Amino acid sequence: MTEPMASSPAAMTRPAEGRAPGVPDGGRPILEIGDVRRRFGGIMAVDGATLDVEEGSVTALIGPNGAGKTTLFNVITGFYRADHGSIRFQGREIARRPPHAIARLGMVRTFQITKALARMPVMDNMMLAAPEQPGEQLVNLLVRPGAARRREREVRERAEELLSVFQLERLRDEYAGVLSGGQRKLLEFARALMAEPKMLLLDEPMAGINPTLGARLLEHMHRLRRERGMTFLFVEHDMEVVMGHSDRVIVMAEGKVIATGAPEAVRSDQRVIDAYLGGGAAVGSEG
Amino acid sequence: MTLPLGITFDAFTDFGFWTSVGILAGTYTIFTLGLQLNVGFTGIVNFGQAGFMAIGAYTMGILVVKYDWSFWLALPAAVLVAVAFGLLIGLPSLRLRADYFAIATIAAAEIVRITAQNARELTGGNQGLFGFEGSWDNVSDSITSGLQSLGWSDPETLFPLFLVVWATALVATLLLYFMQRSPWGRVLRAVREDEDAARALGKNALVYKLQSLSIAATLGALAGFFLALNLNFLNPEEFEPLFTFIGYAVLVLGGLANYWGVAFGAIIMWTILEGTRFIDLPISAEREAAVRFMIVGLVLILLMAFRPQGVFGKKEEMVLGD
Repeated sequence: MTEPMASSPAAMTRPAEGRAPGVPDGGRPILEIGDVRRRFGGIMAVDGATLDVEEGSVTALIGPNGAGKTTLFNVITGFYRADHGSIRFQGREIARRPPHAIARLGMVRTFQITKALARMPVMDNMMLAAPEQPGEQLVNLLVRPGAARRREREVRERAEELLSVFQLERLRDEYAGVLSGGQRKLLEFARALMAEPKMLLLDEPMAGINPTLGARLLEHMHRLRRERGMTFLFVEHDMEVVMGHSDRVIVMAEGKVIATGAPEAVRSDQRVIDAYLGGGAAVGSEG
Repeated sequence: MTLPLGITFDAFTDFGFWTSVGILAGTYTIFTLGLQLNVGFTGIVNFGQAGFMAIGAYTMGILVVKYDWSFWLALPAAVLVAVAFGLLIGLPSLRLRADYFAIATIAAAEIVRITAQNARELTGGNQGLFGFEGSWDNVSDSITSGLQSLGWSDPETLFPLFLVVWATALVATLLLYFMQRSPWGRVLRAVREDEDAARALGKNALVYKLQSLSIAATLGALAGFFLALNLNFLNPEEFEPLFTFIGYAVLVLGGLANYWGVAFGAIIMWTILEGTRFIDLPISAEREAAVRFMIVGLVLILLMAFRPQGVFGKKEEMVLGD
């Protein structure tokens, strides 16, 4: 894999592949969120959010700080329970399901603050994520040790492959805790891919990552979408990345979705400009 | 050999002394393996291990003495009761933060002990429960005669128990060791590191924590059987929270997240605790008993100062974090 010479975020910008800007492809939604609300004490962190994410799209979720983006992520992936509303993934209602069950359906997330499992080797971080491992059940270790071993071999091969794609293979036996912040981001992304997701939710994937590693991550995102039709929904504050890498942008403010559309359309939307510059939310604290 | 303070080292050359230290150390190895699984590999702080030991021992004792069950049937039944008790505590409290779970377990263990103290018709209360070891004595006798046929004219009465305790401890250590290296163990460690990360990757953290607690309860019950057979009676005092914390001291000594360190820590601990009985100081017996724990404390302080990860622990696993 050749490294892009990119050193500034602007240089990573490129048009979203395969789609004319502003033209929706009419794909069916993989994720449908209807009037989701979540309250913390007196604060409506998510206040009636409604949105769709098309299958095979790269969709950005943006908004000022405190808009409810991360809370919405947590509600979608089952970490918080929605007080109200429906969440459908591939047509299936998932609003009441626990996080592990949602992940098994094929919707996998990463975290804003990376959750690399620090006191486990990089390789174990990767292998952990693979689905359908018979060896994860004690009973199978006794009854089907062969099946457990076979799957373990497959999983290891797949992990080796992904680690080399992300150029982490030299670190495979290190504790994840010794990795740099950027390497942890890559590890978390690679680990999420081990889970064989249909849809990946990335919470600020570019935060704290150097431009070279960031470019590599974006490149993989586009390739996975192209080759496997994987869907991406990501929260990001870097507008160059948002505008250059998504087919659709969803804008949240104060717990609600205030605009949805192609990047160019959203950029010039008056409501969006108001939300970022005026409105009730704090101004000027965006990273 | 006698030293000025009246310390004698005769005991350390006495086979009987080492047999009894060995039985205690082996029993606590089994006991503490459960703590190692919970604390070292799952990240759940179980302060109620003495409670599981009590449930195992008392269930076995009551079934044999009061209900005339066969000893061999009472053993698995007692393990099942201990596991059920573990699930009963774990189901509501393992969803809570680690420190609340710790409080719930110590409370549960105290409930068990105080119940044992007061349900006198069943447990004999502080008078103790006697007469459950008949079937074991037969086994012990046949092991003894086996040893005699090997040419050992006069084996220690408790030596067969020593053998069985350590065989059990070894099998348990090996099993846990291999389980830990399996994908199952990998999930457990992930739960220890970050439950949310494990859940985000499709692992049902609660189920793994319950499994971990159930296995610890099983090991606690096994340790309870050996404690009962060693003492030949059961008394609620044997199950005070102190014994859980001795288990923790063993854990710290041997090192967290290492199963082999447990046996090592248990041997050191019981050599100190039993060996110091022979220090003959010009003070009352109660004070002398306290001196034993002062020595244990000193050893732990020195350990923290010079090798905080324990003898077998890994330093990286202590210092690395997010």
